[in-house]
This record gives sequence, C-alpha cells and structure tokens, in this order.
Amino acid sequence: MNKPSISRRDFLKLTLDSLLAFGGLLGLGGLIRFLSYKTEPPQPTEFDLGLAENYKPDSVTTFPEIPAALFHRDGGFTALSLVCTHLGCTVEVQLDGFACPCHGSLFNSSGYPVKGPAVAPLKTFRVEQTTDGKLILHTK
Amino acid sequence: MKTPLLPSPKSSTSQAGLARGLFFTCLTGMLLLVGWWSYSVIKASSSPQATSTLVPSTAASNAARLAKPILTSSQNPTQLDQGALVYWGVCMACHGDRGEGLTNEWRAVFGEDQNCWTSKCHAPNHPPQGFVIPRDRLPPAVTGPGKLTRFNTAQELYDYIVVTMPWWNPGSLTPEKAWALTAYILKLNGSLPQGIVLDATDASAIPVHHLVTASQNDQTGELVLTALLVLVAVVMILQTTTKRKAAVALSGEAISLDAPVSARSRPNFLHHLHPPTIPAPQARWRYTLGTGGLAVFLSLVLLVTGILEMFYYVPQSDRATISIQTIAHFVPYGGLIRNLHYWGAQALVVVLFIHLLRIAMTGAYKQPRRFNYLLGLALLVLTLALDFTGYILRWDQGTSWALVVGTNLIKTIPGIGNQLFEFVIGGEQLGSAALIRFYSWHTFGLTLAMIIAVIWHIFRIRRDGGIAVPPPTLRQSDERISRFELVRREMLLMTIAAIALVLLSIFWPAPITPPLTNTTADLSNARAPWFFLWVQQLLKLGDPFLLGVVVPLIILVILILIPYIFPKPSDSELGRWFPKGGRVVQILITILTLFLISLTIWAILPAP
Repeated sequence: MNKPSISRRDFLKLTLDSLLAFGGLLGLGGLIRFLSYKTEPPQPTEFDLGLAENYKPDSVTTFPEIPAALFHRDGGFTALSLVCTHLGCTVEVQLDGFACPCHGSLFNSSGYPVKGPAVAPLKTFRVEQTTDGKLILHTK
Repeated sequence: MKTPLLPSPKSSTSQAGLARGLFFTCLTGMLLLVGWWSYSVIKASSSPQATSTLVPSTAASNAARLAKPILTSSQNPTQLDQGALVYWGVCMACHGDRGEGLTNEWRAVFGEDQNCWTSKCHAPNHPPQGFVIPRDRLPPAVTGPGKLTRFNTAQELYDYIVVTMPWWNPGSLTPEKAWALTAYILKLNGSLPQGIVLDATDASAIPVHHLVTASQNDQTGELVLTALLVLVAVVMILQTTTKRKAAVALSGEAISLDAPVSARSRPNFLHHLHPPTIPAPQARWRYTLGTGGLAVFLSLVLLVTGILEMFYYVPQSDRATISIQTIAHFVPYGGLIRNLHYWGAQALVVVLFIHLLRIAMTGAYKQPRRFNYLLGLALLVLTLALDFTGYILRWDQGTSWALVVGTNLIKTIPGIGNQLFEFVIGGEQLGSAALIRFYSWHTFGLTLAMIIAVIWHIFRIRRDGGIAVPPPTLRQSDERISRFELVRREMLLMTIAAIALVLLSIFWPAPITPPLTNTTADLSNARAPWFFLWVQQLLKLGDPFLLGVVVPLIILVILILIPYIFPKPSDSELGRWFPKGGRVVQILITILTLFLISLTIWAILPAP
C-alpha cells in the first residue's frame, strides 16, 4: 500500500477547515444579500415644469428640487444637468458657465469642461413641450 | 529565586493613597450633587413665570393692559415686536392680554365689548365682520402650565395657528405673521430660546413647553465640572510628590511575594486589569508619550457620550439635524455631551496619528509586536470610518458634499463600484436608507469591531512583553512599579485629558448647520472634514479613482508593509527614539507625514 502523501489527521483538518471556510463564505453571501435590499423608491425621471410661456426668452432657470438648468434660447428649450461629472456635487450657475464648489471644475455655458478634474461634459436633458403648452423635463 | 521584590510600604502607601482617592471621589461626587442642586434651584427661581401677578384693577392699569405694545425699534421691528403687534391686534380680544384666555376678569377689563354674548360684538346680529364665539368652547388660555398641551413643538403650534386662526377668518395670517405670533406665544410661555428668529428651519426642535429645567445655558454646571477635575488633578499631583518622599524613606525594606496579602492591600478590579508590577523603565512618558492610554481614554469618552446621544438622536432624514439641535440646545448638559463626543473624536484622530508616528520612529513595529502594529492600523482605519459616518449623521447642509463625494468615490471603483455604492447607501439615491445605514454602522457595526480590536490590542501589549522595550542600559534594572502606580499615572493622564476636553467643549461648540433637504444646498461650504482635506485636495488634481481610492490605499499598504519589507532596527537599538537600523522607515514616514500635512494646508489655503 502506498504511503499517503497526506496524513489522515491533516486530511481531516483540511476538510474541516474548508468546510468552515465554505460555511463562512455562504454566511457572508447571505449577509450581503440581506444588506442589499433597497427600501427607497426610485427617483422620478420626469418633471413637470409648468407652462412654457412662464420662461422668458434668453433666460436660464434653475429649480430648487431638480439639479438642472433650463435654457430658453433661440426659441427652443434645452436643459443641462447640474450634477458635476467628476464626483456628483451640484454645480453653481455663473455668468459664463458652471463652477463646482467641491473640486473646482469649471464648465462653459454649453456644459463642456474647461478646467479642473472633470473630463466629461454636463449631461443634457430632453425637454418636451406638450400640446397644452407645458414643459416636461426628462432626466433619463 | 529571582522574584522581583516589591517594597511593601510602597504598596501600603498606595493603598492609603487609594483610600484618599476614594475619599476625594466621594467628596467630588457630593460637591457635584450640591452644585447641581443649587444650580437647579437658582435656575428654577430665575425662570420666567408664565402667570403674572394680579394687579389691582384700576382704570389706569386697565388702559395700560389694552395699550398698543411698545416696540423695541419702530424702524426695524424684531420678530417678537411683530408677534406682539399681531397678538395685540388679532388675538388679544379673545385670548386676553397675557394669554389667559377669555376669563371673566378679562371680559371685565376689555370694556365695552366685555359681554361677548349680549353686546353687538360677537352676537349673530353683528355687522358682516362679526363672528360667533362658541359658548361650549371658550377661547382658551395660551400661556401657563398645563396649557397648549396638545402641541409639542413650535412647528406644531405654527401649523395649527396658520390654518385655524383667527377664529373669524381662518388662514388669513401670512406665514411671516404666523411665525412672529408663534414666537411671541413661546415668549409668553418662557420657552423661546434667546436670540432666535423662529422659522421652519428649527421650529421642530423648539418645544412649546419647558419640560427641561436647564436649556442652552449649562455653563455653571460645566464650570463646576472643570473646577472639580482640576481639583482632582491637583490632589493627584500632590499625592505623587508626598508619596515619593515616603517611598525613598522606606525603601530597602522588602517582603517576598509569599507574604500574606492583607485585605487592605487587595487590588480592586481596575488594578487587576494590570500586571502586579512592571519594570519601571517600560513606562517612560518621554518614550511612550502616553498616547496609547490617551487613545483608550478618548475611546471610552466617545463610547459613553455616544450612548447618551443615542437617547435623543433620530436617524431619519427629516429629523436627524433637528434631533441634534435638541441635544445641543435643550437637553440639560446635552450640549456638553455632544461637544465632548465631537472633540473626543477630533482628538482621537490626532492622538492615533502621534501614536503611529511614535511606533514608527522607535521601531516598535518589530516582531513580536508586528501583529499588534497591524491591529493598530486596523484601529486607525476603523476610527476614520467612525469619524466619517459620525460626521454624516449630522445630515445637515455642511455635510452634504462630503456625503455625495464620499459615496460617489465608491462608484468610481471599476467593476464592483456600483454594487458597492448601492450596498453602502442602501439604494440608488442618498436618502433615509443611507442615513440609517450610516447610523447602524456608526453606533453598532464599526463600534463593535472597534471595541473588539481595542481589547485585542491591549491584550497583545501584555503578551508581547509590556508597554515598551526599555533601552539597553536600563534593561537590567530591577526597579519596578506596582499596578497601583500604573493606575495612578493613567488616572492622572485621563484627568488632564478630561480637563482639556471639557474646556474645548465649553468654548468651541461642535458645528451644526440647517437640515439637509431636497431643496436646499449651501454651495459655499464644500469643504471636507479636516481629516479628509488631503483627499479632497488630491481629488482636485485629476482622476477620482486613482487619486481618491488608489492613493489612500497605497498609503495604507505602505504602512502595512513597514514591518515586512524594510530594514528593522536590531534588538540592542530598541527603546530609544530614532534607532539607526530603522532609518528607511523613519524617512518614509516623515515624507508621508509632510505629504499629508502639505496637502491639508493646500486645501485650507484660499484658492488663487
């Protein structure tokens, strides 16, 4: 009979240890699943901005509850996200663009980064004009 | 037998010292009680009385009661002035000049309209502006004990007033007037905090009733506490000097450890946590800096004050900041407790950093202490995590960007970033779920890990051969200090640290800003908490994953690798600062420290 390369005791210990490790991993997986449940409803992706005639031509409007700026330019409506593409702070609207208070990124008035750590332009949002003259902002 | 001998007189002096310490503790406690009692009495006697003394009714006094209120400034009336005017013009007819309600006495004073049911005033035959007062529900008193019992907070009172008052034209008060009126009624009840302009920001934190005896102003008690701590410190220092003389006089007498232990010299629980004696050269202030013991003390302060805060803190996104304001402004000594928690946490970061520097600069990370060094690093990481989660629990405008940036950093990790982000904040958006998660981690998950790691860390000190290795010249020394002496030193350090903490807490309160809501964002305050300013400065330079995640991880890995890959000082060099064999590590740590400090300073400096 060949001498086993691993003793019986070592084999049993290895088996026990692997079982314990496996059980621990299972438990960890269960814990992660337990902690991954989402209780919050998803954020709305459509916002009613009211009547289009309320927004003067060549104006920029920001809204307290939506991190977006609404532009009324050349007879049309466009919207830019105000969430900095670097790490998500809300950018400030300035005369010639947008400035992020957290890490100093600067964007020009069309949302393209001109300075700072941010590399991606600010997202553009779709603005829909309904038949009854209302504006709907789509953030997705 | 080379048993370390302990001079018995020393131990009995320690016992006497302990007895004296106990005596002083009792005295302190009694003084504290007396101080608190007299403070409460003074406070109660000086608190505003809601029921004013009855003035004999004369025509002149009655006219004065009906007169238009005198404003503090006619050009620029305060909110209370406006409230007094609104009350005088709208509410007084029914609720009385002192808020006593429609009493017979008040009806007598109010003159021509005194009989509200028979004159033209409030009867159905009144001109169109008139209204009927329900006879079964007389206009109630709005001041005094036992009144307005259905309202808990100023917000609830405001909500009621703005909807239902005045009786004949509900809802006609503008929000501004209603807030002014609410503030005035609180003032009449003596429950309006001084110097506050009441509005929705903190109305929910302001109780209508003064259930708490001491609000805001706990300074007397705090100063009494400081004085007592100073007294204890002085007594302990005096004790040391007298005891040293006694010890010198009686040295030379020694007893063997086999001698029966008298009941008098039996060590208590606190002493039992320590070895009976340790070599005196192990515990040298100049070498250890006392930072380990200080860190344990600060952790205990944080544990106790944190538990106390849990009795009032509400981990709910719309209540969190308000509940902290309640702790800071209304709960007796709540401000002190919160400030101690705040300053304890700030101090712990500093103390741990110095502790780490001490270990690195003396080569104390060397085997057999390598594992304890790693445990210590784990404690540092846990402390930073606890500091960050605790900071977020404020849930006010000052912390909003730190929360956004800190969690978005997780998102930048390739592959698992998004899942990890959702795991950390419990959803796709920052909200109540995130707050509860941070709360659970802060008050339980991380705290439990911290407690276990601290106990393990302390246990390993003893197992690894004591507090610190003495320098070679002192290693042969037979001089030992007893556990009584060790405990005394620890107590002295703790007392001095406590004085510093209390003073910091009294003079520099912990920050709190208006609550975080969906609509508010204070763009001016985008600065990270000070211990993460260096990360914020790094993030300004480029790729968030590289600079915000990888660089801090590299620093941690370097710290972990210190006892493994760098040359270590030899055993004969240990016990002194800056051993030659550890030069590489010393230089590395110096560079790292300068790197972090200069980044922090760069972040504090105003942008060009």
